[in-house]
Amino acid sequence: MSIFWEIAKRNIRVHFLRSALAMLGIVIGVVAIVSMGILGNAMVAMVSETISSVGDSVVVYPYFGSAGMGGGNIANLRITDQQFQQIKRVVAPNVAVPVQSASERMKIGVGGDDIIATVYGVDPQYIPDLRFDLEAGSNNNANSGCMVGSTFAKDNNIKVGSRISLGSDGSKGTLRVTGIIKQRGMSFDISTDNAVVVTRDWFENSYDRKDYDNVVVKVKQGQDSAAITTTIEKQMNKRDKVVMAMDSKVVLGAINDMVGQVTLFVVAIGGISMIVAGVSIFNIMMMSVSERIKEIGIMRSIGTQKKEVMSMFVYEAVIIGVVGSAIGGVMSLLGGYAINVLILKSTKYLFTIPNAISIAQGVAFGIVVCIACGIYPAWKAANMNPIDALRHE
Amino acid sequence: MDNLPVMQFRDVVKVYPLPAGDVVALDGVSFQVDRGEFISVMGPSGSGKSTLLNLMGCLDTPTSGDIWISGNAIRDMSDAELTSLRRDRIGFIFQYFNLFPLLNIIENVTFPMMLKTGKGVDPERGKEVLRAVQLDDKLFTHTPTELSGGQQQRVAIARALINNPDILLCDEPTGNLDSKTGAGIMELMSDLNRKGTTIIMVTHDPNIASYSRRTIRIADGRIVS
Repeated sequence: MSIFWEIAKRNIRVHFLRSALAMLGIVIGVVAIVSMGILGNAMVAMVSETISSVGDSVVVYPYFGSAGMGGGNIANLRITDQQFQQIKRVVAPNVAVPVQSASERMKIGVGGDDIIATVYGVDPQYIPDLRFDLEAGSNNNANSGCMVGSTFAKDNNIKVGSRISLGSDGSKGTLRVTGIIKQRGMSFDISTDNAVVVTRDWFENSYDRKDYDNVVVKVKQGQDSAAITTTIEKQMNKRDKVVMAMDSKVVLGAINDMVGQVTLFVVAIGGISMIVAGVSIFNIMMMSVSERIKEIGIMRSIGTQKKEVMSMFVYEAVIIGVVGSAIGGVMSLLGGYAINVLILKSTKYLFTIPNAISIAQGVAFGIVVCIACGIYPAWKAANMNPIDALRHE
Repeated sequence: MDNLPVMQFRDVVKVYPLPAGDVVALDGVSFQVDRGEFISVMGPSGSGKSTLLNLMGCLDTPTSGDIWISGNAIRDMSDAELTSLRRDRIGFIFQYFNLFPLLNIIENVTFPMMLKTGKGVDPERGKEVLRAVQLDDKLFTHTPTELSGGQQQRVAIARALINNPDILLCDEPTGNLDSKTGAGIMELMSDLNRKGTTIIMVTHDPNIASYSRRTIRIADGRIVS
């Protein structure tokens, strides 16, 4: 390396405390930005994991806009079988699955406490389309059986073969559990994790109604879910608005956007500390220049070019920036670990590619800030009049 | 090449524009320095000595008139070209030695050579020049603050000589030394001059000026003798 690199290094060593404090500023700045980034990445990862990824679906609900405004009964708004048949035609060849649902009181086994859970009624012929993964047992296709979600099973100690009495005091009868559905997360079609899935026949008999609460359209690969959503809305709402369709992709996108914005916001807050660090770098670089005006004058008079003088001060900023940012990178991994443990109670989101990118970005930003804050003082040093600088005491 | 004067001034005028009115620091100065000369420049303070020194050292350019350094007209040179000229053709010696505190003696001496070559240099070359200015070998790895004034000035002379300049430009080289040490430095300079180095020395001390072979006297911006 050139003599100017050596001089920059020695100057930092001579003014160790001041340089170390400037580095500390950069360390804090990098840690602030990166740990906020890591928190954001963890949130995104958690959200995407929670939201089921069983393929795109469009969920069709009865339109309750006017009922909600006018005080009508939302609970009575359902999709009729006729409307379902129409939806089915509109979305072909994609499969439309009619779903009934109700909230129900139930008891597990004998003598247990009453609990409340959602009961879904689905025709067994559509079960494969909903792509349930079973962790135990098999699909149910009898009116005396049901399937339960994994969280529900775990919380209530349910196994294949367990019996659930539905209704107050078992008024709606007892069902035998034939299968336990693997965790699906917060799904847009049916959230089974905390629910009981029964046959449509059983549901119709027990609740004495034939219409549906919503229709889940499973979008086949290669089909455009947005186009299907539009078609449903257009075809079904020709005269009056009777249904509304929701594209899972759009909702997922909106959620991801929101998490992204929150992440950006917290990273920006971290960025403020980086600006403060930059100001302190600027300050010590200006100090370094004004202490060495005479030295700059000597250098210039004996034939040192402006750009060489400039490089000497930029090197100083580079050393502070690189060392500070590197320490900051390591520290922010520890900071990210702490955040993951304290806030998210899990470290499984820590060693990921987005986090590696966050760290790299934070470190790079720290270095860039240092260099940017060192450039003006360096430029000022290089462009001093050598005669005035030589005369400086 | 060797017949060319190492320095030539022709009708050089230097005016400092100030709000209270222009100050004419040099008013039509012409002279010539041939290779191998030992010249002292004398004059009272405010006579234009410092301005003349800055122009001779290519730290400044004239308002009008022409200056040639080793045949190069400096009038239209860019800052980078003037800087290269200073580095390659001129060796500076200052009153306050002006060594770099962060560098050791060898590094101080070889600094201009590193500027010229753009890379690391053989420390042996530095040691050679330091021995030529009679500095003790065991001081080579010390820092400037650990040396006496006379020793520091010897290091400064070695630094000025390292790139084999055409001119050694000295500004009160003994001004910060006691008379005995100063005499030692002047002996060294005379010795260098005898070996062929061209020396221009600005001083107000007649004893020091007596070491030179020609004296340019300056008053009110003009050469008087």
